[in-house]
Amino acid sequence: MNASTREQSGVTIVDVSGDIDMGTSPALRKTLLEALKKTSRLAVNLREVRYVDSSGIASLVEVLKEAHNKQKRLILFGLNKAVHEVLQLTRLSKIFEIRETEEEALQA
Amino acid sequence: MSCDKGSAPEHLATGPRGGPLKFRMRLASDPRLLPVVRSTVAELAAVWGFETEQCRSITLAVDEALCNVIQHAYKNRCDQEIELSCQAHSDSLEFSFVDRGEAVDPSRVCAQPLDETATSGRGTHLIRQIMDEVCYERLPEGNRLRLKKYLPGIKRSA
Repeated sequence: MNASTREQSGVTIVDVSGDIDMGTSPALRKTLLEALKKTSRLAVNLREVRYVDSSGIASLVEVLKEAHNKQKRLILFGLNKAVHEVLQLTRLSKIFEIRETEEEALQA
Repeated sequence: MSCDKGSAPEHLATGPRGGPLKFRMRLASDPRLLPVVRSTVAELAAVWGFETEQCRSITLAVDEALCNVIQHAYKNRCDQEIELSCQAHSDSLEFSFVDRGEAVDPSRVCAQPLDETATSGRGTHLIRQIMDEVCYERLPEGNRLRLKKYLPGIKRSA
């Protein structure tokens, strides 16, 4: 798993690639929480994520809770089928702000 | 022993390609090995006739089971042994996980309600959602979890 951070139109975007699992989710959690400290809008690009497990979902939930606590926004975009399926299985599709494209995420 | 079993198939499907298949692997309780197992399981499920989405969900269930062993039975120690066996039957895929870690209290498995804001506890829910049979057994020196998934099209009695 790799995660890199960039700025675009006032939004912090974290581009994530690879598998998010028990071994890699702690690093993702740390990256996202650090990024959230420095922005009011955090968008996570999951287009290159091939796999996510419950620990990855838990990390995203934790970042979402932190965003809500700080009155900030977390937006996920570029989810492929595999990630959508896990969100549906965990019944969490509706708690996240999800957009198809980066453009939509920036305009959200 | 604690088992959640679906009802028995009313009839068995014609087995995919010849007789049953089986393999067994012994792996360290190291999360870095999880992608290796996922690749193997995804390929096996595809070979055995599961559709792409089901291959992904079966792979997820197996991965979650391994994570539970590492986290709960072995308390995140990475140098312990897990034995993963897989048998492909004419009607199903069956996985068995044996560890020598601490006992799992079956009554606590899935006891946690699925709260959307919870930051843990989803793994066992996922396993039970995905697999048709989930059976936990305490062994004299460890734990055994068996998971079974029937092939699509298997007619099941009510």
